[in-house]
Amino acid sequence: MFVYQKTLQYPVRIKKPNATLAKIIISQYGGPDGELGASLRYLSQRFAMPWEELKGVLTDIGTEELGHLEMIGALVHQLTRNLTPEEVKAQGFDAYFTDHTLGIYPQSAGGTPWNAAGIGVKGDVIADLTEDMSAEQKARVTYDNILRLSDDPDVNDVIRFLREREVVHFQRFGEALRLATDRLDHSNVYYMNPAYPIG
Amino acid sequence: MDKNKKQPASCGYKEGAFPSCAPLAVPYVAAQSGATPQYEPGKALVRGTLFPGLDLPLANIVNGDKTETPLLRVMALDFASHDLALYLDTHPQDQEAFEVYKELLALSEQAQREYAREYGPIDRRDLLEAKRYTWLEGPWPWEPGANGEV
Repeated sequence: MFVYQKTLQYPVRIKKPNATLAKIIISQYGGPDGELGASLRYLSQRFAMPWEELKGVLTDIGTEELGHLEMIGALVHQLTRNLTPEEVKAQGFDAYFTDHTLGIYPQSAGGTPWNAAGIGVKGDVIADLTEDMSAEQKARVTYDNILRLSDDPDVNDVIRFLREREVVHFQRFGEALRLATDRLDHSNVYYMNPAYPIG
Repeated sequence: MDKNKKQPASCGYKEGAFPSCAPLAVPYVAAQSGATPQYEPGKALVRGTLFPGLDLPLANIVNGDKTETPLLRVMALDFASHDLALYLDTHPQDQEAFEVYKELLALSEQAQREYAREYGPIDRRDLLEAKRYTWLEGPWPWEPGANGEV
């Protein structure tokens, strides 16, 4: 089960609302490489995993991603607070505002609603952990790109933290895959799927 | 990955060891060989990792230090213990790291309880020491002002 802790993982305090930035940052809420997908990917992959380290890494990183989802929500919320209809229009936030007012909706920067097609749960140890390493890289690049587009120091402070977490998670998934590989037959690591060692 | 193997002398803390031979057609990431060096918790939080070896920022631009507030201290200790927990998930035999983890957990627990007594609950157990039901009192974590002056 999950228990709520009433703090963010890292402080979000945005002095200056900026809906133009909110519009791109929301991609990490509900976009293809965002935090909602990350948490659901890892927390869902856990169930079929053999070996305790793999269950642990997926549980703990998946849980952390829920905290990142909350941080991105906080960023978008603070970037769009108290916007007047004129500001909504001037900052290009009108299409979003029409559908969601100032609520936080899981969608990509391009406006596509969150879609489970963006995550993989293959039920195979090597395939799933390789997907996770790739997902961390894609999320890192998304944060790189946000840093390239944003000149707000309050936003960048938070984005740098989240970007670094992707690097750390990549390392842990890489180590998890090595722990798995070490247990496989080195003359043929694809002899069978340890998450379904039948046939 | 043998946890008892020490880092070869030729590897710095930014590098990890590889086995001399490894199977083909499967990705290999160099494993972190130990949980040191570590940043102190406040610096770990602003850098996004406890481990200088994994601190790999875009264009080497890093966040500046933050003024320590009671909430930031809680966050920093919670974060440092969490990042060490992820390390322990893939290095469960590292007893030395586990001892450090327990120290961080104890400090984190203490900082949270002290914070809660002064400013309000962080988790439900903090209500054990509250005089009334303070769970609903804002600002909530995502609101401006919850994380210090804006």
